Amino acid sequence: METRLADGQPPGTSGPRGTVIEFKAVNKWFGCLHVLCDIGLAVQAGEVVVVCGPSGSGKSTLIRCVNGLEPIQSGELHVLGECISRAGADMPLLRSRVGMVFQSFNLFPHMTVLENIMLGPIKVKKASRGEAESAARGLLERVQIPDKASAYPANLSGGQQQRVAIARALAMQPGIMLFDEPTSALDPEMINEVLDVMTDLARDGMTMMVVTHEMGFAKRVADRVVFMDGGQVIEEAPPGAFFAAAQSDRAREFLSKILTH
Amino acid sequence: MKRLLTAALALALAGWAAPAPAAESTLAKIARTGTLTIGTRRGSPPFGYVNQKNEWVGFSIDLVEQAIKPAVERKLGKPVKVEKKESTPATRIPLLTSNAVDLIAGTMTDTRPRRESVDFSLTFFVTGAQFLVKKGSPIRGIGDIAGKRVAAQQGSTNARIIRARVPGAQLREFPDQPSAFQALAQGQVDAYTNDGIQLAGLVAKAPRPGDWAIVGDFYSYEPYGMALRKNDSDFRHLVNVGLMEAIESGKYLQLYEKWFGPKGEVPYPLTPENKRFLTMQVVPK
Amino acid sequence: MSYEFRWSVLWSGQSGAWLLQGLLTTLAISALAWVLAAALGILSGALRTVPWRPLRAAAAFYVEFFRNVPLLVWMFFWYFGVPPLLPAAFRGWLFDHGAEFWAGMFALGVYHGARMSEVIRSGIQSIPRTQFEAAYAMGLTTAQVYRLVIVPIALRLIVPPATNESLNLLKNSSVALTISVAELTFQTRQIETYTAKAIEALTAGTVIYLALCLLIAGVMGRVERRFAIPGLIVRGGA
Repeated sequence: METRLADGQPPGTSGPRGTVIEFKAVNKWFGCLHVLCDIGLAVQAGEVVVVCGPSGSGKSTLIRCVNGLEPIQSGELHVLGECISRAGADMPLLRSRVGMVFQSFNLFPHMTVLENIMLGPIKVKKASRGEAESAARGLLERVQIPDKASAYPANLSGGQQQRVAIARALAMQPGIMLFDEPTSALDPEMINEVLDVMTDLARDGMTMMVVTHEMGFAKRVADRVVFMDGGQVIEEAPPGAFFAAAQSDRAREFLSKILTH
Repeated sequence: MKRLLTAALALALAGWAAPAPAAESTLAKIARTGTLTIGTRRGSPPFGYVNQKNEWVGFSIDLVEQAIKPAVERKLGKPVKVEKKESTPATRIPLLTSNAVDLIAGTMTDTRPRRESVDFSLTFFVTGAQFLVKKGSPIRGIGDIAGKRVAAQQGSTNARIIRARVPGAQLREFPDQPSAFQALAQGQVDAYTNDGIQLAGLVAKAPRPGDWAIVGDFYSYEPYGMALRKNDSDFRHLVNVGLMEAIESGKYLQLYEKWFGPKGEVPYPLTPENKRFLTMQVVPK
Repeated sequence: MSYEFRWSVLWSGQSGAWLLQGLLTTLAISALAWVLAAALGILSGALRTVPWRPLRAAAAFYVEFFRNVPLLVWMFFWYFGVPPLLPAAFRGWLFDHGAEFWAGMFALGVYHGARMSEVIRSGIQSIPRTQFEAAYAMGLTTAQVYRLVIVPIALRLIVPPATNESLNLLKNSSVALTISVAELTFQTRQIETYTAKAIEALTAGTVIYLALCLLIAGVMGRVERRFAIPGLIVRGGA
């Protein structure tokens, strides 16, 4: 690989600079369904971008492209200085630089919380067990469940599982964090404990792309809101402008539904 | 759990071992069903085998059809049909004791331990164990097999004798004749031992009979008898009468000629000694 | 006209030694074949789910080819069909050193590997897709995803059907008697030959197989509890 990716620094210090994610005329189809149409979008280092839109709008697909879980069929996609849409891109290396948190947590059920968090650093970054463990314990402190280190995922509440999932992603010291509807599977009383962790993360300067329906979070934390529908980016704006005066009818209709709900 | 298991096992054994309600005699069973069921072989020419026309035939089967069946029919005063089932050395005694067949008419050697489980008819054929080897093999008899790989049939008396007399031989026991012969043809074994007449039958059916040699003196005495359920002397008597009449009338010799004569399936001349032995088994009328 | 039981045939003479020998041979051939079957099963079961078609096709070919031909035929294949392909010197040596056992072991292991493969595949396919994604998203390679995450989860899910397959393997080891392997069933027949006491010999064999199977089922039950995944996997994701 010709371009070395910038070393991931712990969030809070200066992360990678400049544009870290760039979609250039990206298209993607599922069979004959055109799920991403001609996407152009750039995310700057340290930026928090909330992606919203009705279901089926392509927003999840969009962020899943960023770490290559979904391949694209045309256009270019650059992540952390690397063109990941070219053949032969080193996906494992890219993914080790991009953390992802899923709607359904996806902790590995046969491992303890600590083992879940240590797996990536040990197996991918070749960290020693001792380093990985102290880092993992530090992350558990940070997501405020240090006492659950030796519990199994099934013994945790949804909110706790999702916080572990965030810690697991952070353990890789990623340059970018992707959140794919991180609170949609949670009971209402647990949503805030996860959003609080995400808010802290944003305050520490982490670059984040977040697919969510939590408009409160978007208003408070996002630098920019991207509204998608029908596989297209319809509108991009700072949250203040977006929520106060969305430009498109579709965005206004979406907001009216989601905010009265 | 344990008690349940014991009960299940006891039940299984009872159904298996205890014959039908209060021991119906074989003759009564034949009279009731109109069928004499025999256990014989599909792959042991010429005693019992499936020929090229896909008919199940053989010397043992002919003896049942032409010597024993007439005697049974005469006794019962009605026609009887013969039904054939496959029986291997390993299955024939269980088949008999479980009433699945009434008579084993194949290639079963009459032995003392077997007589503790089943009864036997007169001896209807006499042979002895020999070795089948590839032509040119250094093995010439039982004296040459120490250290050699020797195939035998599972459950046969031959294997037993080899084990006792030549413990150094590497015995390989196969459940049937074709696989033992295949092992010999491919070199997995150096020799295949079985009753001389069976080896002769095998060679006669082989694609190139000239490639094989049957070697060695009889190292065992193998009198073939038909096996019956124990303690059913009426039926055994009837089977013996059928065989004696066939020997007396020349029917036996005629069948012998058909199967073992110069133009028979497996040429295997009746020695004067054996002929005399057969005749002397016939008791006076 | 009823059958006379004489159970003493089972402990008089050489019967006891034969049964023990048979038991040891059955255990040896089954254990080795089980290891082979588990290795082939895990490998091919995993390959059938990987995102690369030629590997999937190769694994599918192995499974369909080997499990759809009767075990008895495979016994003959490994015993009669394979040796002619070996160098003559090695073949001669092999015939003097347990060719029957090794042919039987391969027949049993490769056949049951194909059956085990299906069990493992179904285990892997019952794992939600998102579990794969989470592992990939961490930067693991496909081999690591399978080795560290997917196969360990699948193995925990399939203990009951794998137990069933293991018991089948043990019982099917008796088919090796057709190529002259002196295992347990062979030895019970041997006792029958010597004593003409078929039912006693068969009963001894039956009881030993039953005891072995119950033992294995018990051990696998413990394994299942020991390695159980706490809680249950959320099937199909949330």
